[in-house]
Amino acid sequence: MEISLPTFDFLVVAPEIVVLITALLVMVVDMVIGREQKGRLAWVALVGVLAAGALSYYLWDGSDPALHDMLAADGYALFLNLAILVAAALAILFSLEYTGRVGLAQGEYYTLLLLSTAGMMLMAAAINLMTIFLALEILSISLYVLVGLNRAERRSAEAALKYFVLGAFASGFLLYGMALIYGQAGTTSLAGIRAAVQAGGEPSALLLVGLGLMIAGFGFKVALVPFQMWTPDVYQGAPTSVTAFMSVGAKVAGFAALGRVALYAFGDLQGDWRWVLAVLSALTMTVGNLAALRQANLKRMLAYSSIAHAGYALAGLAAGNAQGTSGLLFYLFAYAFMNAGAFAIIIAAGRFEGATGGGETLDDFAGLAARKPGLAVAMALFMLSLAGVPPLAGFLAKLYVFGAAVRGGLIWLAVFGVVNSVISAYYYLRVVVSMYMREGRPAAVPAPVCAGLQVGVALAAVAIVLLGLWPGPIVDLARVAALALLGG
Amino acid sequence: MTVSQVVFILLSIAALGGALGVVFARNLFRAALALVLSFVGVAGFYVLLEAEFLAMVQILVYVGAIAILIIFAIMLSRRMMSSETQPWNEQWVGAVVVAAALFAALVFILSRVDWPATEAQVPADSISQLGQALVSPDFYVLPFEVASVLLLVALVGAVIIAREQ
Amino acid sequence: MILLWLILWLLSGGLLAWLLSRWRAVWARWVSLFFTATYLASLVVIWILSPEAEEAGPGSWLIDLNLSWIPNLGINLHLALDGLGLLLLLLVGVLGVMTVATSWTGAQERTGFFHFNLLWILAALAGVFMAMDLVLFYLFWEMMLIPLYFLIGIWGYENRVYATLKFFIFTQAGGLLMLLSILGLYFAHGNNTGVYTFDYFQLLGNTVPLATAIWLMLGFFVAFAVKLPAVPVHTWLPDAHTQAPTAGSVDLAGLVLKAGAYGLLRFLVPLFPEAAGRIAPAAMILGVIGILYGAFQAYGQTDLKRMVAYTSVSHMGFVLLGVFAWNPLALQGAVVVMIAHGISTGALFILAGDIQERIHSRDLERMGGLWSTMPRMGAVGLLFALASLGLPGLGNFVGEFLVLLGAFQANVPIAVLATLAFVVSAVYSLAMIQRVFFGPNREGWDLPDASPREMGIWVVMVVLIVVLGLYPRPVLDTARPALEALQEYAAAGEHVEVEVGEASWLGSTAHGSWDTAVDGVDGGRP
Repeated sequence: MEISLPTFDFLVVAPEIVVLITALLVMVVDMVIGREQKGRLAWVALVGVLAAGALSYYLWDGSDPALHDMLAADGYALFLNLAILVAAALAILFSLEYTGRVGLAQGEYYTLLLLSTAGMMLMAAAINLMTIFLALEILSISLYVLVGLNRAERRSAEAALKYFVLGAFASGFLLYGMALIYGQAGTTSLAGIRAAVQAGGEPSALLLVGLGLMIAGFGFKVALVPFQMWTPDVYQGAPTSVTAFMSVGAKVAGFAALGRVALYAFGDLQGDWRWVLAVLSALTMTVGNLAALRQANLKRMLAYSSIAHAGYALAGLAAGNAQGTSGLLFYLFAYAFMNAGAFAIIIAAGRFEGATGGGETLDDFAGLAARKPGLAVAMALFMLSLAGVPPLAGFLAKLYVFGAAVRGGLIWLAVFGVVNSVISAYYYLRVVVSMYMREGRPAAVPAPVCAGLQVGVALAAVAIVLLGLWPGPIVDLARVAALALLGG
Repeated sequence: MTVSQVVFILLSIAALGGALGVVFARNLFRAALALVLSFVGVAGFYVLLEAEFLAMVQILVYVGAIAILIIFAIMLSRRMMSSETQPWNEQWVGAVVVAAALFAALVFILSRVDWPATEAQVPADSISQLGQALVSPDFYVLPFEVASVLLLVALVGAVIIAREQ
Repeated sequence: MILLWLILWLLSGGLLAWLLSRWRAVWARWVSLFFTATYLASLVVIWILSPEAEEAGPGSWLIDLNLSWIPNLGINLHLALDGLGLLLLLLVGVLGVMTVATSWTGAQERTGFFHFNLLWILAALAGVFMAMDLVLFYLFWEMMLIPLYFLIGIWGYENRVYATLKFFIFTQAGGLLMLLSILGLYFAHGNNTGVYTFDYFQLLGNTVPLATAIWLMLGFFVAFAVKLPAVPVHTWLPDAHTQAPTAGSVDLAGLVLKAGAYGLLRFLVPLFPEAAGRIAPAAMILGVIGILYGAFQAYGQTDLKRMVAYTSVSHMGFVLLGVFAWNPLALQGAVVVMIAHGISTGALFILAGDIQERIHSRDLERMGGLWSTMPRMGAVGLLFALASLGLPGLGNFVGEFLVLLGAFQANVPIAVLATLAFVVSAVYSLAMIQRVFFGPNREGWDLPDASPREMGIWVVMVVLIVVLGLYPRPVLDTARPALEALQEYAAAGEHVEVEVGEASWLGSTAHGSWDTAVDGVDGGRP
């Protein structure tokens, strides 16, 4: 029997491999260094993430290579890699002091963070139902554990359990959908499915039901209504740095796979899925925003707001055109900065003495502007960007996806989005009001903010301003990435 | 009715009956035993589909390892062994409605599907072909490797959850 | 480049004021004064250097700057200045200096941030009046909201949080509807021509079908009507005005409302001439309702600032009326009303602010007889109240009279109704002066009269309103080429065949009433 060495172009998956190796490295280093030196693990992780980011950027030469119908390093994957790695890098910066304060085991924390980052990146690169599912499980299982990592907090464990049970359920849906699609197409490769879709005249019910179940499965990951039930409890219960990470990363990964399946594999059945996504999008943003209006806890409010943002981003996908796709990509990229940044401020606020709400309630933010002007400015920027106020990144992202929706003939969806943006302005502004226009209670004394977190927040704030004022380069990248997926 | 159809029905009764037993049993230990029955039923399906290797793996992994581990866990923790759990909660009506609706919808749709079936016979050396496909770069070595990462993640996660604070 | 520098100048002035205030608060005031004054001075220079109206001719743009910004979305950094923009920029400059001067002793807390917001509002307004790319316009449009929001929310009075939220939600809702319309226009135009652009000049004369154009136009209309404000979307204004600090009220009334009027003039009608023609009668009626409703409401108020706020609703009704009459007289009148209202209402808000600073109340019931203790302020107040009621010789009269003349040509019944405004405005203006300055001094106030700083502000404002009333020609001459250009754009964009040659609603200056104009458009459609 002849054994040939596999001919792999490892460069195609080099960023993923770098992140994985860093994860293993963190595990090993964790065993050999002393207890008080654990903080250095963060730097190991950060270096790995940055290296992977640089690799992703330099690999991007427009050749869009693929590995045996399993993984691709096309522009689409590499662009999303950047968004995921941004979220990971920011999360690591935000965790520097937080992990110690809350008492999270740092070795395990950073290992899982990197593993789930790798899972997200694999998901963005996956061009086969099999790799999509495996990647999804990698990222999900790491996130289940990360959510429950805070043993001292009961809510953390409860959140983990809830996330796990519902997540397993969603995985079941996804798998069932994949099985049906495989049953019709006879292959798990997205290119093969695309061919099968193109071949048949009348779309087979198997394919459509399969797609529907897959949308439900991904819908859970990115928190689309009606699969969003878990979001507020999980976001609130999880350690805040984990929330910052997963609220961005899991969404990016979920949208990455959903985009590939819908736009590429099922691109010829647009007429059948576009209206479903459009309705889900409208429902998602409306439910998310209306629920967010009533929240006093900031983590919960941001959880609902992240549901609403999933709805906005989905509008880009529902538009079903190249502009919508690049709009979705730009949206996710911008969202990574503003949402992670907002959670970072909550992490900082958790240290305030006398912050009765753990730095999570509006009251804890009262009068912040007077005592921590830098944090307050950053938080105001994040809130305004999330609300979609120009010239910040969130505005341009919304302009992009709503514009694509109008172009795709979904004017009603754009109207929904606009009305929702107005509703959302109310609750985002409440935070600004609290920081700038209310007196703080004398008890809530701001504590010094860790330098790493300051750097992360500053980077995120600068990024959302730059993305709003000078979006040209990223818009270009997003367009190239979208074309890599759609072809042409 | 052919023989294989009769066998299929019997296996289905075993698999579904076992699954119902898992859900309805008040005693955890009995639920675990019912789980074994369900797994065996699924293994039977594989045999029926001429996938003997998968059937064997099913028995080895799910019955031999997972179910046994579950039983171990139950027997080793006294409290769970003795307690009778209540499998119902107040939301069961809604759950039944949703499940029935989903079931009806799936049955309705799937009954109208013209199922594509391949004429090809299962090759005789399917096991060796399977083995090669799993490590061949042209087939599944990549998912194979990714799956190993998944196992690593699960392992790390399990250790963290199980460890004392 | 000068146009971009004008904006950047104010933005950097704001930043500098904020930074320097960390060491000494008063530096923020001097820095702001310096930056607004130099801004005003450079605009005056531009004005003096700008060609005479006769040479200029219609459609001549004084300065134009077009830089590529986000090319693959068709968004450009396109700023341009014509006579209309120049006048409004001058107004921004004048009121900018005035607001800095009038808040010299106010805003003791977070002085730097206060001036930062003040200058950024001015910068955003300057951008609004110069932006010739719709996305850029929208960007500045929203950008003025945020600092204004902080200005009212932090330094406002007792009910400020409610007022700011209401203000923000109203204007944000209007703005986003406009954004939708901008997008719709972008794609409708792109689908027709293959050119996807947000550029104003390329979108002029677009061939969007009327049915679509009406919807797009309504999006713009709502945004501008909220800012203007037109009844019934004016309800944010009394709250915002009442709760704002003096500088905020002056900026709001004097400048921000003008942005709405400017939008109607610059964008709404030229971009959608036919669609605007369809709603013109309704819009003019809204204008008249605004004039009368604002006046009646003003009369009923017991809060001085609220009262002045309602007079704004009334005055801006004239602008709405004038814009939709869309003939040379009415348009020139609308521009003069915009400027005169900016000065006179700004002055009244400064007056209200100065009184509040002294007696810590805005309640008209507690005032009365203040003339005896503050005669100089009383005289100034009387003058601006007279301006507000449209006394000939003062700026407001010129504008409102021109608007009425123009409206009369367009639609006689509406113009007649609007004439009632002179009566009702006399009632509320005199009632205001009566309640504040005359009558018995019930509370026995003994107050210091206007300080030299306050007197300085007053003198400038008085001179401006009197000059505008007696010799409005420079203003009219500057505005005319720009307005003629706008009319040409609109006429060129109206591509429907009209049966009776001169009955196009845009061309009907002499005798075409609104009914025939609209019929003409109707009759032209197959």
